[in-house]
Amino acid sequence: MTLRPLHIQLDGATLEQIPFEASDGAELGLCRIAADGAAGTDRPAVLLLHGLTASSDIFTLPETRNLVDVLLDAGYEPWLLDWRGSCRLPHNERRERYSFDDVALFDIPEAVAYIRGRIGERRLFVVAHCLGAISLSMSMTAGLVPGLAGVVAQGVFMTPKVSGRTRLRLHLGGELLRTRWAHLPVDFKKVGLRSRYTPVFALASLSADCDDPTCQILQNSAWGTGASLFAHENLDKITHDRLAELFGTLPTWVLPHLRRMELAHSVVRWNPGGHRYGRLPENALDHADRIDCPVMLVSGSDNKIWLDSNELCYDVLTRRFPQLDVRYVEVPGYGHMDPIIGRGAALDVFGPVVRFLDEHRRSGAVVGS
Amino acid sequence: MREPDVKGPDGPGSSGRRHEEELVESGGRGAAAVAALLARFDKPGPATPPAATGGAGGAWSLDGLASAIASKAARFLHGAPVDAETDLFEAGATSVDAVELVAALDRELDVRLSLDDVFADARPRRLAQRWLRTTGQPALATAPTAAPVDEEPPQSDDNDDLALITADLARADRLPWCGDPDPAPPRRILLTGATGFLGSHMLFDLLRHSRAHLVCLVRADSAQAAEQRLAEALTSFALPWSAEVKRRITVLVGDIRQPRLGLSDDRWAALAQELDSIVNVAAAVDFLRGYHSLRRTNVLGALTLAELAMTGPAKPLHHISSVAVFNELGVTSMGEDDPVAHVDRLAAGYDKAKWAAEAALRRARERGLTVTFLRPGGIVGHTRTGAYNGHDISSGYMSVISRYRTAPAMRYLNVAPVDWVSRIATAVVCEPSAWGQNYHLTGRANTLPELVRDMALGGMNVQVLGWDDWLADFLSRMERDPVPELEFLARVLRNPAAQKLCEATLLGPAATSERTDAFIARHKLPPATRYDAKAQLKNYERMARDGLVVLPRREDPPHLWFPETMRGKLGPVDGSPDTRCAFALTLSIASMYQLTEHRTIHVSGTVTCPRLHKDPLTVEDGEIWVRPDEGIPLRHGTDHPLLRYRLALRDSDGQAWWLEGWKTARARTDYWKQARTLTVEAGREGEPASLSGVMKVPGKSYRREQIDGIRVNPALSLQEQRTAKLTWLLWFTQQMVQGLAEPTLRAGADLLDLRRDAIDRDKDRFQAKLKKLDKDRERLT
Repeated sequence: MTLRPLHIQLDGATLEQIPFEASDGAELGLCRIAADGAAGTDRPAVLLLHGLTASSDIFTLPETRNLVDVLLDAGYEPWLLDWRGSCRLPHNERRERYSFDDVALFDIPEAVAYIRGRIGERRLFVVAHCLGAISLSMSMTAGLVPGLAGVVAQGVFMTPKVSGRTRLRLHLGGELLRTRWAHLPVDFKKVGLRSRYTPVFALASLSADCDDPTCQILQNSAWGTGASLFAHENLDKITHDRLAELFGTLPTWVLPHLRRMELAHSVVRWNPGGHRYGRLPENALDHADRIDCPVMLVSGSDNKIWLDSNELCYDVLTRRFPQLDVRYVEVPGYGHMDPIIGRGAALDVFGPVVRFLDEHRRSGAVVGS
Repeated sequence: MREPDVKGPDGPGSSGRRHEEELVESGGRGAAAVAALLARFDKPGPATPPAATGGAGGAWSLDGLASAIASKAARFLHGAPVDAETDLFEAGATSVDAVELVAALDRELDVRLSLDDVFADARPRRLAQRWLRTTGQPALATAPTAAPVDEEPPQSDDNDDLALITADLARADRLPWCGDPDPAPPRRILLTGATGFLGSHMLFDLLRHSRAHLVCLVRADSAQAAEQRLAEALTSFALPWSAEVKRRITVLVGDIRQPRLGLSDDRWAALAQELDSIVNVAAAVDFLRGYHSLRRTNVLGALTLAELAMTGPAKPLHHISSVAVFNELGVTSMGEDDPVAHVDRLAAGYDKAKWAAEAALRRARERGLTVTFLRPGGIVGHTRTGAYNGHDISSGYMSVISRYRTAPAMRYLNVAPVDWVSRIATAVVCEPSAWGQNYHLTGRANTLPELVRDMALGGMNVQVLGWDDWLADFLSRMERDPVPELEFLARVLRNPAAQKLCEATLLGPAATSERTDAFIARHKLPPATRYDAKAQLKNYERMARDGLVVLPRREDPPHLWFPETMRGKLGPVDGSPDTRCAFALTLSIASMYQLTEHRTIHVSGTVTCPRLHKDPLTVEDGEIWVRPDEGIPLRHGTDHPLLRYRLALRDSDGQAWWLEGWKTARARTDYWKQARTLTVEAGREGEPASLSGVMKVPGKSYRREQIDGIRVNPALSLQEQRTAKLTWLLWFTQQMVQGLAEPTLRAGADLLDLRRDAIDRDKDRFQAKLKKLDKDRERLT
């Protein structure tokens, strides 16, 4: 088994690890965390989707009050999917290409279908972060995951947008990078000082406040793009020291797809149409009318990678699709990752998230089946 | 109009009193706010008191008058018991109630007190004394035998406060002795003032940055009401109230003004045992009320907390003080360990109360208490949420400055945003090595030129006036055209004592903060930054929503404008464009803020199109949106919207029309043409489009009109005009270049996507290596 074990401290709950493989053969990670004594439960399920190069570990940080704790206490049943971009899985470090099309077409819909099979009539929510949310938006607009009870998208959703400077470095620098290296690791201890990646680490260390090279490449430079993944002071010290464990190697072959989406400011398909990928829409935004559940967009006010993408997404969706139930919540003083892994995330983010879930816990009819 | 009377010859209160009387008596003109209050009050009230006890300026006895005043006041207090010794503000009266009370006393008892009298000491007996003294009657006609509460010394007006302060300070000597607290991060903290502006933000920061459980002291009738009050306060400051917050706090019903916080002995004893830190944020912040009115919250409350800290295991007490303790005109330096002001030279009751609290706690320090003084200056709006304290003087100044575009010639504005103040204060509370010292949380003071520049950057050029002129200007404007949201500031600035406080604040030196700065550097906390235009933005927007400040609007004279001519042909939607039409528009902006935040341009002018009407149509309302929705394509493809025109037109017969036009960027090289071509649709109001076509800005007119033709508000200086013009051109050019380049970039990226990436290259390299190995093997064999 190649899946790295989940880093979790269970207190009054049981972890059920489910062997799970996507229909195209990719190994994924799926687990259910059940509150003890909640057998035959009526708890609504919440599927959590991490971002690229992170993993479900971000929802179970033992050192802070994490989202899984909060959901369990609020009466929900968390399900964690490690889609193929997870650092608990080997895909990012292999040399087999995947795109977010695969995530939207296989990983998410199949996990949702499996969970549905297990929970029966209970309601199912999805809380998705970053590229998990982008991929989810494509699954939703393709009509592959109908009838969700509600969706929370953190950081970015259907309208990815970065700053001019990040654009330049991500799109041009990324181009140089991807033709030379298949991967960009972030764990400096693993690659060592005399590796070919040292120039990127050196670039990331320019005018950095923190001495940790892994923190520099994530916080000060976001893989050399000059963006920033989190507000440094929002992390617990233990989380900070575990960054290399929480974030894995970046596969460079996803960069062109990211570039295509960012330049179009909308979620677009990578693969040409045809039998396999034709089920995904060419542009998710054109089919946003297929979204059949309430959506809560969350973003840190200081998101320094996707900026105000989610506010933009809110504006676009409410203007172009006024029938949708969309809301936008800005978390003051937070960046991109810290609304999930920050030490105050439970107070500032999970509280409002749970309130949204509670609102739709019973209300509204379940669409589809 | 009234000249400002900073130093009234007949003592504090005279000018303010005269003014209030004018307001109350003149009623109608220029005093709409007060008049409105009075009108509300004009409803038939309870019958006037029995004439036997007094009457129009007649012989009131002190007791009689005091109880008459108390019964009038009781009306505003919704059933709270009021007697001659009740401080009306302590009993819950607001400033508005005070205005109503003054009017009621005048009308019904013919007792003319000023608002300042009420603010200075709002006990009915003292009000009665004041009035009797003013009218020359012996104040102690029927000498009160009842001992006043708290064994106060006999009072004789101006020296009252000093005597009372002396007595209050002596209370510190009754505190127990104690040792040093355990130097560990706190686990259970008592927080007072959690429903206040700073307190609510500190509540969150303490939860975020420590693992402590918080006990919040909240004044209410029941635990449920207390929780409700806290939840409402947090929500009003844009802080999230949720189950996650609830699980880490305990709401404790109590009152800081009461001995032992109004708690039972058991509760008090338990609290003394279980707490390991006390954070005192609670304070009555009111620049009008006198020392007497503020002391129970600000001084006695602090002493009660000191007692709690010194009872049982020793606990540190972190006291939010204020730089107001330096508020003496002529003070030369404001360092953290510099001597504070002379209390006999402090004018406002608030300054005295803050001074006395510190002095009393310093005495407690000598008895072993570890007490930290955290002294903020003005605490202004949150840099991210914009949440602010509507009754903060600094917010009031900002409001006046933006509304009237005049600023007082201040030296420094010692203000810091609430998020920073709260964060640093929290860090001190959580760091044992930092306890027991004085810290200035004044941030980085704003200087006058910086403030003026910030305003100019936002397109609001302000005029600087001397303090006296500014004050006179502001008060006269308020009299001519009262603004309800600014009434509190006007009231403060009409009060001589509060006026001195404000003047001292603005003309004093910048507070220095070496210890705080060193602490921040040591713990890598966010350094103090100036509260500049960017930091203020959210605050301004929020204040604008609440009507406290006025952002530049469409109705204002434009900041910058220029003409735009367009020619082209329109025709029926399904036919070919056949009718020559022309737009003669004027494009204008009210401020740069409008551009950067909303990316819109206002449009006026005329549209000539015989298909719509034989006469030119007038643009009633028009707006151009630059790169709408960041230029996200309307449908999948590489066509990115560049500009959207939306005009509401009216023809000479009074018929309404709509017109919508799009300029679109495409992946083609005719950028110049794309930038000038507008695809138009138009129709009758409420109906679908009946006309469509293409309009174009003639290439020849472009430079003449849109560059050389730019006109800037002539009220600005020449330099400001040039800057405005250049800023506009730079901003618009940048937007257009970005918008026009996007489709081309996408086409280019599609080409780049064809390049092979490292996986393929490495595969080739691997193949080559294999081949070489084979060759070598062949050679060897």
